[in-house]
Amino acid sequence: MQNIVVAGFTRSPFHFASKGALARVRPDDLAAQVVRGLVERTGVKQDDIEDLIVGCAFPEGEQGMNVARLIGLLADLPQSVGGVTVNRFCGSSMQSVHMAAGAIALGAGEVFICAGVESMSRVPMQGFNPLPNPELAAKAPAYIGMGDTAENVASRYEISRERQETFALASQRKAADARSSGRLKDEIVPIRTKAGVVDTDGCLRPESTAEGLAALKPAFQATGTVTAGTASPLTDGASAVLVCTEEYARRNGLRMMARLRSVAVSGCAPEVMGLGPILASRKALERGGVKASELDVVELNEAFASQAIACAGEIGVRDEALNIDGGAIAIGHPLGATGARIVGKAAQLLARDGGRYALATQCIGGGQGIATLLERV
Amino acid sequence: MTTSAINRVCVIGAGVMGAAIAAQVANAGVRVLLLDILPKDEGSDRSGVAKAAIARLLKTDPAPFMSPANARLVEAGNIDDDFGRVAECDWVIEAIVERLDAKQALYRRLDAVRRPGTAISSNTSTIPLAQLIEGLPASLQRDFMITHFFNPPRYMRLLEIVTSPETDASLVDRIAQFSDHRLGKTVVRAKDTPGFIANRIGTFWLQHGVNAAIDLGLTVEEADAVMGRPFGIPKTGVFGLLDLVGLDLMPHINASMKASLPADDAFLASLRESPLLSRMIAEGYTGRKGKGGFYRINRTAGKVKESIGLVTGDYAASSMATVPSELSRSPKALIASSEKLGGYAWTVMGATLAYAAGLVPAIADDIVAVDAAMRLGFNWKQGPFELLDALGPKAVAARLEQDGRPVPALLKQVGDGTFYKVADGETQFLGTDGHYRAVPREPGVLLLVDIKRTREPELRNGSAALWDIGNGVACFEFSSKMNSIDEPILKLLEKSVEVVKQRYKALVIYSDATNFSAGANLGLALFACNIAAWGEIEKLVSGGQRTLKALKYAPFPVVAGVAGLALGGGCEVVLHADAVQAHAESYIGLVECGVGLVPGWGGCGEMLQRWRDAPGVPHGPMPAPSKVFETVSVATVSKSAAEAKSLRFLREDDGVTMNRDRLLFDARARALSLVDGYVPPKPPEFRLPGAGGRLAMSLAANGYHRQGIATSHDLVVADALSEVLTGGDADYFDAVSERDLLALERKSFMRLIRTGPTLDRIQHTLETGKPLRN
Repeated sequence: MQNIVVAGFTRSPFHFASKGALARVRPDDLAAQVVRGLVERTGVKQDDIEDLIVGCAFPEGEQGMNVARLIGLLADLPQSVGGVTVNRFCGSSMQSVHMAAGAIALGAGEVFICAGVESMSRVPMQGFNPLPNPELAAKAPAYIGMGDTAENVASRYEISRERQETFALASQRKAADARSSGRLKDEIVPIRTKAGVVDTDGCLRPESTAEGLAALKPAFQATGTVTAGTASPLTDGASAVLVCTEEYARRNGLRMMARLRSVAVSGCAPEVMGLGPILASRKALERGGVKASELDVVELNEAFASQAIACAGEIGVRDEALNIDGGAIAIGHPLGATGARIVGKAAQLLARDGGRYALATQCIGGGQGIATLLERV
Repeated sequence: MTTSAINRVCVIGAGVMGAAIAAQVANAGVRVLLLDILPKDEGSDRSGVAKAAIARLLKTDPAPFMSPANARLVEAGNIDDDFGRVAECDWVIEAIVERLDAKQALYRRLDAVRRPGTAISSNTSTIPLAQLIEGLPASLQRDFMITHFFNPPRYMRLLEIVTSPETDASLVDRIAQFSDHRLGKTVVRAKDTPGFIANRIGTFWLQHGVNAAIDLGLTVEEADAVMGRPFGIPKTGVFGLLDLVGLDLMPHINASMKASLPADDAFLASLRESPLLSRMIAEGYTGRKGKGGFYRINRTAGKVKESIGLVTGDYAASSMATVPSELSRSPKALIASSEKLGGYAWTVMGATLAYAAGLVPAIADDIVAVDAAMRLGFNWKQGPFELLDALGPKAVAARLEQDGRPVPALLKQVGDGTFYKVADGETQFLGTDGHYRAVPREPGVLLLVDIKRTREPELRNGSAALWDIGNGVACFEFSSKMNSIDEPILKLLEKSVEVVKQRYKALVIYSDATNFSAGANLGLALFACNIAAWGEIEKLVSGGQRTLKALKYAPFPVVAGVAGLALGGGCEVVLHADAVQAHAESYIGLVECGVGLVPGWGGCGEMLQRWRDAPGVPHGPMPAPSKVFETVSVATVSKSAAEAKSLRFLREDDGVTMNRDRLLFDARARALSLVDGYVPPKPPEFRLPGAGGRLAMSLAANGYHRQGIATSHDLVVADALSEVLTGGDADYFDAVSERDLLALERKSFMRLIRTGPTLDRIQHTLETGKPLRN
């Protein structure tokens, strides 16, 4: 099988939904600028691109209509490049990386853009027409709210509120350090909006304090432990990575960031969906023949502090490897865009900081996990 | 009308009054430039003072803006960089510090930059106009006047305008018209005397209210109980009002009055040092804005309402005072009573009314202006002369004589008569020349009370009436307590449809009362529940549905003239009208869920239709039901007509009238505009999501329950509401008719009203006026 590499990573700044700087930007326009930025920064020959695979968790409204194709046209990709929208909720754009890898393994192309987008301002969670099936609801907690799953994980793993807040504070601090020392700048594509160019993240709260977090009210259950401070915020954003064969990258002088070693998806109980990364990561590690202790970089999506803490413990992630530039609690979590961001970030960290193996993994509403194992090129 | 000439206003001084006046101008849809001085801190935003004021307005409760979007019409600036832009404005309102030199200096600067003919007015409440314009250029004097707004300017309807002999009369008319039509104010022309009208009489009344309470040994509760309800004065009475406006304001006002009133003015005799008041102010007990005032909430052990002892100066738990009901209902009997409370009533009101009677024509041309000023500036139900009529002018004069006090000329003049009388089908007032003449009404002001004096109703029962209001339009008037809707109202409404069909072109639903309707009469419903008269209740529900649909599909246009509260069933009447003419201060909502019910008179379907047809709402089965669910399940009430539009209780093209007195006239005009070619609406059909949608709403409600926001009975109510809004067991492929929805409403309503928690809610609300969160 051919080696597959990540050879580029861009994203938009991430901003709070509704009140942030991207609330008035259409998600197709947002993603198109990020894709265009990726093409320009990597210097990939556009005609070689087989497909634009875009993850989106609620693909309707302005991010509906097979938005991948529309993004390709908006981004002035050649008409010969395909476009497909994929949905695995929060795992959508990591799925797009897996689909590109699968296609390459199948001999169905050499170069892919794997992107993700979510405007949580303009398309609400659950979409405009949530119509759950009453029979399923009676049978399984398939429609359980995400916050409630975070509470379930917290109580099952006895993760105190204080521990969650310590974790959240660390995420904020790491993200603030990364931003202030310019480590986030290279991945961000400045976004043109009607109100001007937006080129920095908007969700970070570097001023967070333990006291401030401790004063917040529980966000989902009156007697619960999860607050807005220990949950990822509703976010607008887009991201993209370039996935191609190692041979293609070498032939065309593309800058390789990391090699794909293995991938996995898995299911779990919907009411503790936050535990999804555990099984998915174990499977990916086993397929890649890598032990958790060997991981130098782990991008474990912080949907909630409680599930991130539980998963990091179960997988056996070393603290110093975890979310080095901060996680979604600080940076934000535009559902469909997060997978490509953390794959791109894991690859970037391997290339930047050294180390041999990196894992990107995330939980998925409805009860799933997805994981991608990378190695240094 | 020349109001179009005011297209932009400049307010200088972004303090509490200036900023809030700017907000009211913005509420009228007019752009405002709000200027203040440069901030002390050099490095900060040069327009920071005005910007901070706008930010403060957005956080103030009650809200100065009718819609937060109106803030965009207020542009912040400073008097250094932006002063030249005064030339863009048609009216400049000065609301800076009450210092003559500062004001005059500002006027001179303004004169240099303003366009000729631009009105300049001061919002001063203490400096005479003559002093303000002394020594100013003639051109400036011509364009200058005082426009005295009351706090808070959005809600207080009084505007006193004071002019000098030099003021250009046509310019005054222009400002008065703009203030009337666009700012919604009742303009009262006052003379250039200290305190003008309302504050002159109001401060006298407050001062006497405090003095007499101390002298006669009343508690603050007793004093406020006497001054409040019996005289039609807000229940804050004297001491509650002082707490509201701020105790620290009193010494300033008194000093200013002392400095400017003639030496023989009765007010000066009432001034005295109050060690208690001085101590309270010194210790920060300045009223509600401070640590408390005559009343305070003590939070050291729970939440205890306390009041201060006027003699001891110590706080103690507040004890409610009541005036015996036979006295409370009759101010005449109250002042005649020899008891302590009666003595207080006479001491304060006798003096105040005599004072007022002695001030005409010194402070205003006629008694009408004085009564209007006290009604609108102090929220009295009746002005001093109307109160004198209620007490009997002759009896008051006799009592004054008996007390050895002077009887004012006007009070002597009225003799055996009254200050107002109805003659020749109109209300007339006694002029200072001894002649009666008609109380003037501005063109475009139409009040039902005037019409009712001139004719008999077409129909009438104990709860409502139908009136001919001219031009071929009939007016249906609710007249029950709080205009709550009962069976007699529904019956008369049904009958009215027949009468209007035969004899009129259109129908307006309107009353002069403060509130359009507080909703269905819950007391009757509760009574029926207690005797398990479920059949009667269901009949009332279906009767209401039938009546309101008859209104909707009547062959003539129906316009609701809404002001104040239009809640529950009252809101449903509004929703069934072809058009609405709403007073800007309209508080509309379907609040049934608050008492554990669902809208039962067709409100659900009407709201579904509005949201379904609203522009910008996504397609599919859920958005419209979701929007209605979000609004109705938490009993949302609009805080203005503008907000009612965004909540879709009003349509985008429903009219808004700023001046309450113009509402009926505008509603009638709106009704007439719909007459030609009128075709009743067609019954709507809906595609609704059925069980899946109901589950989605239930999941959302359960989330709120876990968060501790929704109570357990809220879940029951929300489920009953969602069953209606999602069409019951409808399939998205099948049309749901209006009739189907009405049946679902009845089913959910009857299911809920049989539950104990719903009955508890109704009972609690009836007893306390507040919702029960069970």
